[in-house]
Amino acid sequence: MNHLLAALRLELFLARYSLAAKITVLAPALVCLARYVLVWLNQAGDQARAGLLGADDFALAQSQNAYGHFVDGVNTGLMILALLLVAVAAHDFSSERDNGAIRHVLIRRAGRASIVLAKLLRLHLLGLLALALLGLAAWAGAAMFWDFGPVMEDGFELIGENEIRDEIHLGLLMAVVPLPAVIAFGMLVSVAAQSATQAVTLALGATLAMDIFKTLLGEDAWYLYATFHPSLLDQSYLREVARLVRGFSDVLVPDRFFVFNVWAPAIAALALAAVAVLLALRRSL
Amino acid sequence: MNETGSVLRVSGLRKSYGDAPVLHGVNLELPAGGVLGLVGLNGSGKTTTIECILGLQHFQQGDVSVLGVAPDALFRLRGDVVAIFDSPSVPSHLTVRQCLEHARRLCAHPLRSCAEVERMLGVEAYSRYRIRQLSLGNRRRVSIAQALLGEPRLILLDEPFNGLDAGGVDQVLALIADLNRASGTSFLLSSHQLPYLEQVCSHIAILHDGRIAANGELAGLLADAGSRVILESGDPEAARQLLGEDGRVEILELGPDGRLSLRLGDWRSDELAAHLVHHGVPVCELVRQRASLDGLFRELTAGEAA
Repeated sequence: MNHLLAALRLELFLARYSLAAKITVLAPALVCLARYVLVWLNQAGDQARAGLLGADDFALAQSQNAYGHFVDGVNTGLMILALLLVAVAAHDFSSERDNGAIRHVLIRRAGRASIVLAKLLRLHLLGLLALALLGLAAWAGAAMFWDFGPVMEDGFELIGENEIRDEIHLGLLMAVVPLPAVIAFGMLVSVAAQSATQAVTLALGATLAMDIFKTLLGEDAWYLYATFHPSLLDQSYLREVARLVRGFSDVLVPDRFFVFNVWAPAIAALALAAVAVLLALRRSL
Repeated sequence: MNETGSVLRVSGLRKSYGDAPVLHGVNLELPAGGVLGLVGLNGSGKTTTIECILGLQHFQQGDVSVLGVAPDALFRLRGDVVAIFDSPSVPSHLTVRQCLEHARRLCAHPLRSCAEVERMLGVEAYSRYRIRQLSLGNRRRVSIAQALLGEPRLILLDEPFNGLDAGGVDQVLALIADLNRASGTSFLLSSHQLPYLEQVCSHIAILHDGRIAANGELAGLLADAGSRVILESGDPEAARQLLGEDGRVEILELGPDGRLSLRLGDWRSDELAAHLVHHGVPVCELVRQRASLDGLFRELTAGEAA
């Protein structure tokens, strides 16, 4: 345990001076805010056109509700965060092996397993920081451009704010659950690869390939952790939440989906981390 | 330290990369307070030996004990063993000071401040420079500085003189001698720079084709190697024939310039000269050469050394 803590302290020291760590924490929030600005500019144009044509439909009214934009913003940020985390994790171990820096820690402070676990913990801390900042930026940004409120239609409350918040909580939770598996996958590739360049290329390539294949696998894709985090070809529950908080009532997600959403990524995270540790114990450094 | 008083003991170390054997049962021992030079041709297995000792490579057979601990548990010694590798193994995105602060966190009991070791290695002017902005020699200095923050009992240096200018080499040699004398720090040095090793090493191990060709105290090895005499004669062939028939002189080499390289054994140079002249062989020059590590190395590696 002492060796793990020592390794973690060293990891945190390095993270303080790492540009990649700073980008991982800041980029999701910044991309989310950039999205808000672009959407707001688009909406301003749409509203002007609708005003000229005298149209005022339901969709236009709902586009003023901040909850939908909040979910979209978080969704975009989480997609960026997942890609950044897999790239940073893939670069982490392999780059230190490339430049030999990992050898000093191994000889003087911590064993191989402690080093891998410390790196995983540090990446989780980075992920948590990025999530906190993303949540804050998404909420503040959405509140700045739009108003939070219930879904209304013809003066009637279609979906109350409490119900919306409950769904958002559930959606966020379901979207965050796969992140440890994303990190563990990046770390496994990092430990297995021959160089940092190879590791990053392989990890990002495999992540994008999973994104494509999960759409072709039907319900079998539920065994894949990547199905449940926001991505380019998004199948996460958060995507459904974005529709639900806009008043779309055709959101039908079977209960089994939630069971898989919780267990498949958790099991994958543990298995990938265990294989990464075993590989690190066996390979030359 | 183990019960025999040695800080490092390697016995029967065997290592292969796939089907290609690299080390064929290497045996090494470094007594506490000793400076062991590990020399060998390129590809002879020096770096592999060091990496096996440090637990960076797994080996197929053999025993390695460093301060009484197995290679894969060196971290439990918390900085008693430090290594400096042939390529400066430092995170390139850090500045020199940040890099040393990182290394200081590796020490269980830091002895010196970062500023102090920067001064010792002459890199204080580069304190705010990033590692990637430094020359190879200065990166080498920084990696050596990392080792000096604590008080290690054993320091392993793989090609420590690579990239260093003459002043840097002198600085490193002086540091090794000072630490060895003042703190009793033991060293294992792997290098091609034999004259430098001869200055600081108490023990030498010559690694050839994955085997230890010679191993022991440097003074003893050089004494065993004996002194050489270079003979320049007006008739080198006659000299070679005469000395070959006599048998009391070992002819090591007949150079292309006609010079004979000889090992005299119990004879003195003047006796050799008198013997040759007595038999009508003209002697132009007779020079005695002290045994050197370079000579011993070339002899043991059978002329393969460049």
